[in-house]
Amino acid sequence: MKTKRIAFLGLFVALAFVLSYIEFMLPLNIGIPGAKIGIANLAVMVTLYTVGEKNAIALSIIRVVLVGLTFGNISMMMYSLAGAALSLFAMLIAKRIGKFSMTGVSVLGGVFHNVGQIIVAMLVLETKSLFYYLPFLIIVGTITGVVIGIVSSLITTRVKKIMTF
Amino acid sequence: MKIRKYLSVIVPGLLFTALIAGIILYRSQTGPASLNRYTATFLDVFDTRTEIVGFAKSKDEFAKNAQLIKDELIRYNKLYDIYNDYPGVNNIKTINDNAGIKPVKVDPDIISLIEFSIDTYYETDGAVNIALGSVLSLWHKERMIGMDDPDRAKLPDDDMLREAALHTDITDIVIDKENSTVFLKDPDMSLDVGSTGKGYAVQRVLEYAREKGLDNILLSLGGNISCIGTRIDGTCFRLGIQNPDMDSDEQYVEMVDINDGECVVSSGDYQRYYYVDGVRYCHIIDPETLYPADGFASVSIITDDSGLADSYSTALYTMILEDGLEFVGKRDNVEAMWIMHDGTKKYSEGFIEKYVKK
Amino acid sequence: MKKNDIVLIAVILAATIACLLGMRIWQKNNTKVDATAVVTIDGNVYGEYSLSEDLEEKIEFSDGSFNVLTIKEGYAQVSEASCPDQICVHHNHIRYQGETIVCLPNKLVVEIHGGEDNGIDGSTY
Repeated sequence: MKTKRIAFLGLFVALAFVLSYIEFMLPLNIGIPGAKIGIANLAVMVTLYTVGEKNAIALSIIRVVLVGLTFGNISMMMYSLAGAALSLFAMLIAKRIGKFSMTGVSVLGGVFHNVGQIIVAMLVLETKSLFYYLPFLIIVGTITGVVIGIVSSLITTRVKKIMTF
Repeated sequence: MKIRKYLSVIVPGLLFTALIAGIILYRSQTGPASLNRYTATFLDVFDTRTEIVGFAKSKDEFAKNAQLIKDELIRYNKLYDIYNDYPGVNNIKTINDNAGIKPVKVDPDIISLIEFSIDTYYETDGAVNIALGSVLSLWHKERMIGMDDPDRAKLPDDDMLREAALHTDITDIVIDKENSTVFLKDPDMSLDVGSTGKGYAVQRVLEYAREKGLDNILLSLGGNISCIGTRIDGTCFRLGIQNPDMDSDEQYVEMVDINDGECVVSSGDYQRYYYVDGVRYCHIIDPETLYPADGFASVSIITDDSGLADSYSTALYTMILEDGLEFVGKRDNVEAMWIMHDGTKKYSEGFIEKYVKK
Repeated sequence: MKKNDIVLIAVILAATIACLLGMRIWQKNNTKVDATAVVTIDGNVYGEYSLSEDLEEKIEFSDGSFNVLTIKEGYAQVSEASCPDQICVHHNHIRYQGETIVCLPNKLVVEIHGGEDNGIDGSTY
């Protein structure tokens, strides 16, 4: 069923791209380069719980590169990549531990996405004061994490019903 | 086999670690971002405030660079002074004191300033004239009296101004480069390098600092601001243009970003002036009318030579706007901004596009 | 949502709040968030005044000349001075880090230390 998986992945890359674009247009300006509320994580979550870990990683990286090339610049891409990598790392561990539902995994993904971005931004810009944004970003990440966790679990059950990989 | 199982977890973890390590490595190699920004302020040259902005690893290192610049400024200050004598130094005042008497042997840096100023005189059609000392000193005297005691403030006697204006012929400056002497043929004439000396000194000092290997330096001499390079992070130095309305809450009317080697200077009526019968008279004298110019609240120039910037802003201040626009338009690398008395701003063609960053 | 998820969210929020409180306390104890106006005379520090407290300080010199430093509503200015040019008095009031008011005749400099940065390296005058 390789074709199906590739088609699905293509579809979800497009979805992630559109979600990133929506996010890009949202007027959430908190003065941190690359800081986002993280709704694109929806696509990553669904992929993670349907086609699996490797595909989720691939999707995540492709999304970052595509969005970076289209809307941003190199430094923005670097922030996003760091966020995406740390977020994936946290989500994969949480998923493997097996004690959390999709909501918990998604919350961790959202929180660590922001943590990763801030760490890189602090290193690149050499401003420790960015640290002060972190609590705010963690709360934002938690809230969107909950919403995305619930939505993606709804989507996942439906996708699994009609598709097998 | 075990590693295989955890591979998909390890990959993002490694990616993140690699990113962080890469940035740290890059930072430690390039290093400059760890340099600190320092400023030095001193009040003892050119009768104004000098500020140096620079970046260095330590305060001592910065102080060394600042001292290098300061020492040069002190040297130029002595040479270009028209009010004070310094033991063992023949300066512009010495030349003035010996007007009509004898040629004075001077440092080559004085001769180059005078030659530069004479070039500027012709370039600005006489709007900048260092031989105007006799006229300027009459105004200077009255302004000092008037500022000290507003009740005694008065204009200089018109006949005296007309008489003084007879002794402002720039061709009466005799330069003997071979013997390194300067002679003023007219005994009643005197040099006033107020409109060119500071800017020219800044230009020369920065050239000297550049030769000594200094980079990322901003030098402000009484509001005449020039730079070498950029800020340490590669962004342009950003400067405020003083609001001529000193009562305003907005100290700056515009922010401009200048590139390596560029210079900003403003001439205006808002700082050195005095009142006579409720009318404000500023320090910039129009050589044609012999009276203070009052066409604008201020004129700001951005160009790539500090000496020219100084004299251009003085010249533009005495011109009408149309002539000024034409003057700027004819020259590459010169942009200007005029502020009218009612606060409206006029710009030369490329000013906003090239320098104003929001 | 599993019970574990709720525990996780609670832990994250609790940690964040603890972190916020910790930062507040640390900030209060360790950094001067306040901007101050530092007065130097001929290069020597004369005094340092917080911009958060209104104040009027007459700085007198042995020859009888003086400058009056006024701090009002977070701004510093020289409201009165004996110098003939009065440039320091006419100067706009200042509040951003690095901004200065200078009285050349009295060799007095008022400079803002700390506080907000206006992103400017210098200005014409």
